[in-house]
Formats: sequence, C-alpha cells, structure tokens
Amino acid sequence: MYLRIKQLEKTFGGQRVLHPTNFAVTQGQVLSVLGRSGSGKTTLLKIIAGLEEPDRGEVFLDNSPITTWSPQKRGIVYLYQEPLLFPHLTVRENIGFGLSLRRVSTPDISRRVDEMIQHLELEGQAEKMPDQLSGGQRQRVAFGRALIINPKVLLLDEPFAALDSQTRGQMQQLFKKMAARHGITALFVTHDLKEALIMGDQLAVIRKGHWRLYEDRESFMRDPETGVQDELAFWEQWRS
Amino acid sequence: MRRLQRIILLVLVLFPFVFMLGLSLGRDWGYPRLIPATWTLEHWSSLMSGGNGLGASLILSLGLSFSVSVLATGLSFWGSRLVAYHPRRNLFLRAAYFPYVFAPVILGACLQYFFIVSGLYGKLGGVLTAQLFITIPYGLLYFSSFWNTRRKAMEELVYTLGGNTWQAYRKVLLPTARPAILTCFFQLFLISWFEYGLTQLIGVGKVDTLTLQVFQYVTESNIFLAALASVLLILPPVILLWLNKRYLFRLNTEYTTP
Repeated sequence: MYLRIKQLEKTFGGQRVLHPTNFAVTQGQVLSVLGRSGSGKTTLLKIIAGLEEPDRGEVFLDNSPITTWSPQKRGIVYLYQEPLLFPHLTVRENIGFGLSLRRVSTPDISRRVDEMIQHLELEGQAEKMPDQLSGGQRQRVAFGRALIINPKVLLLDEPFAALDSQTRGQMQQLFKKMAARHGITALFVTHDLKEALIMGDQLAVIRKGHWRLYEDRESFMRDPETGVQDELAFWEQWRS
Repeated sequence: MRRLQRIILLVLVLFPFVFMLGLSLGRDWGYPRLIPATWTLEHWSSLMSGGNGLGASLILSLGLSFSVSVLATGLSFWGSRLVAYHPRRNLFLRAAYFPYVFAPVILGACLQYFFIVSGLYGKLGGVLTAQLFITIPYGLLYFSSFWNTRRKAMEELVYTLGGNTWQAYRKVLLPTARPAILTCFFQLFLISWFEYGLTQLIGVGKVDTLTLQVFQYVTESNIFLAALASVLLILPPVILLWLNKRYLFRLNTEYTTP
C-alpha cells in the first residue's frame, strides 16, 4: 500500500475530532471520502499533509514513516475548497509556482507550463490574472499548479463544492482524465454522494471522527449510513 | 455653478498653504498693514545655509520618521502574524490599544524612569524607541485583519507545494501584502512626523524635530520662521498623499483576491 494511516487520533480543546483511524490507499488510486461538515475530514487531510500534528498514530508513505516530516518534504499537496490562486501572479506564473520554488530553469518551467495549460484546456488564458478567470478556470489552474510538481499524493478537500452543477460535472471529468494521465494517488473528500461514487476507485465514509473504508462499491451502496439507499428510495418513489 | 463651487473649495483648501508660504517670504508685518511690508528670500536662504537650524531639524525629522516607520512596519508585520495565530490573540490585541487608551504622553511619563536608567533620556535613540512604543501597537492592530484563514491557507499551500517560510514570505505573503504595508508605512510615518508630546518628554528639548520647532517659533511669536517651519512640516505629508493616490489606488485594485 502506498499511503497508509495507522491509528491516527486528534483532539481539539477536549473534543475528539478524529477517533483511531486506519486505512490505506493503493498507488495510482483515488479514495473518495464522504463526510459532512465537522466530520473530521479536513483535520485528517491536514495531518496527512503535515499541516497538523496528530495526538497519536502514524502516517506511512511508500512504507516510510512520515508523521514527523515537514510538509515540504512529504510531496503531498493539499488542495482547498477555494482555488487559492496567488492574486499577484498570472495563470502561467501560478501553474509554474511549485517549479520556481524548486529552482527549475526558466525554459523548462515554460515548456512544462505550456504542456499543462494544454492538458487543462486553458489555451489563451496563460497571461491572464486570476480575477479575469471563471470559477471553473481557477480550479483548473489550481489543479495544474499542484500536478506540475508530480506530487506523491494529492489531497482534495471538496474542491468542486463552490462550482455550479454543470461546471462541477466538467471538472469531475477533467479530474478523472488528469488522474488517469498522471497516475495520481489521491484522497478526494466530498459531501456529495454522487461525486464520491464518480470520483473514487475506493470509497470511505467519515462521520464524527469515525472512519469506515468499504471493500467495494457494492458494500458502500448497501450500507444505510452512506445514504445511497435513501437516494435510491427517493427516485424509486417518483418512478412508481 | 459647479465650477464656482470647485473654485471656492480649491481656494479654501489651498489658502492655508499659500498663506504660510507667503508668510515665510515676508518681513516687517506690523499693524495695521494687510500684508508684510517687505518680501524677502532671507528665511529660505537661511534654511539653505543652515543659519536658523531648520534644515538640520528637517533632516533629523525625516531620518527619525523614516527609521521609525520602517522599523515599526517591519516589526508589526512580523509580530502581527505571531499574534494573529496565537491562541490568546484577543488578549494581545487588547493590550495593543493601551498606548492609545492612556495617551502617548502618559505612556511616556510611565516609561520615563526606564529611559533615564538606560541612558536614552534626551537622546535621539530614546525618542526613536519611545515612538516605537506607540507605532508598533498601531501596526499590530492595522495588520491584525490581514492574517486571516485565507492567508493562512495560502501560506500552507506554499509549504505543501515545497516552499519554505522564507519563500512563502518572499513569493506570496509580502507581494500580496504590499498595498497594506505601504499604507501602514505612510500612516506610521505621519504619526511619527507630527508626534509632539512624547518627543518633547523623552527628548527633553535636545532632539529638535520640525514639529517641535514649529511650536517653539509660535511660542516665540516668530511668525515668519514658524510659517517657514510649517511649510516644511506639511511638504512630506503632501508628497505621501500624492504617492498614496498615485500608486496605492492601483495596487489595491490589482490585488483583489479571487
């Protein structure tokens, strides 16, 4: 297993936000995590990214314990719900940001950014400033900025939550395409049931800090706690 | 009609400046004359030659205010980040109001003993330190709203993308804070530039800033030199206001954060 979480726990101000959590993600797979607000999913992602310290437990990446590693050393990129583009940089500079941090040569950055812009279908937008882009375009730039550095793991915290349903659908397709092209290992957190099913190769639910990983899609759909049965019943009543 | 209103407004705004400038060029203005009897460049040439000490005061004030505003802006920007993400943030921010709740002069009086003991009393370094006591809290309060969850998320993003703290500051935090830093710098410069009570108290008249000189000439009834000092006193703020209008408006609209 590529990313492995072992007995991870976290408490804030006397309240336990993450109960002992164990799971693993295979390399090149996307694990969809279904969870409502306050379920502890953001805390879990931040611990994996190295932005929060766990009270107990371990994080392993490619069999190496990385719990004490700094975020810079982990190669795990955490994407927020908002694209968080740097407002003083153009689309090109935003996408190439991670490469410039690594002091990659300017011609190399330029070539790789051009390729990424093409993959993201953002041709003609390279010199624009973030405030000149639509919501979907900004999210694409945020993806490009993360993917261009070839992260070991991508953590996505409800990245499409702020988008309208049509753009959301387009972005889901784009992400699936990019994930396949780049062989991305990712944790995709969402509160949207359909999105969880579309995006994930594996499925899990987090509720009030309790984690449950499903063996397959069938067991996820059968479990009444995921809400799939309620959704099916809802549509069934309209059919009858 | 609107044109007339504009002219009246312009005259009202410019009159004090023009009047002061005119007065600095006058001599022998006795009652009942409406204007000075003679016009001369004597005061201005004395300024250039260093005769009246105003030139030295101008340089001293510029150096002092520039140093205070650079130091206070830098320290308060750095300190405000520590305060903003501290669990006891509200306590620190409330404490930053102290110099203004008590008034700077009272703060100076409370700290006077420490300035005497440390040998800073009546020294330029003492005045500079005293002014930092009021400008740094102002800067802390000014920057407190800059550090929000969005800014923190941006900083964390830099870290997960592989950047260190220095790179986060250099490539993201400082460029996005540029308009706020410039505005804070201007405001702190003005606070220091017009500071009277604290400078008088800690400097004990040995640190002759331009603001102190103006009051000195007024109390001496030396209206021509007081006018000259006033013209010099108002020039840097006018230049700052012009720079503010010319550059900061553009920067503020540039960095809308999507």
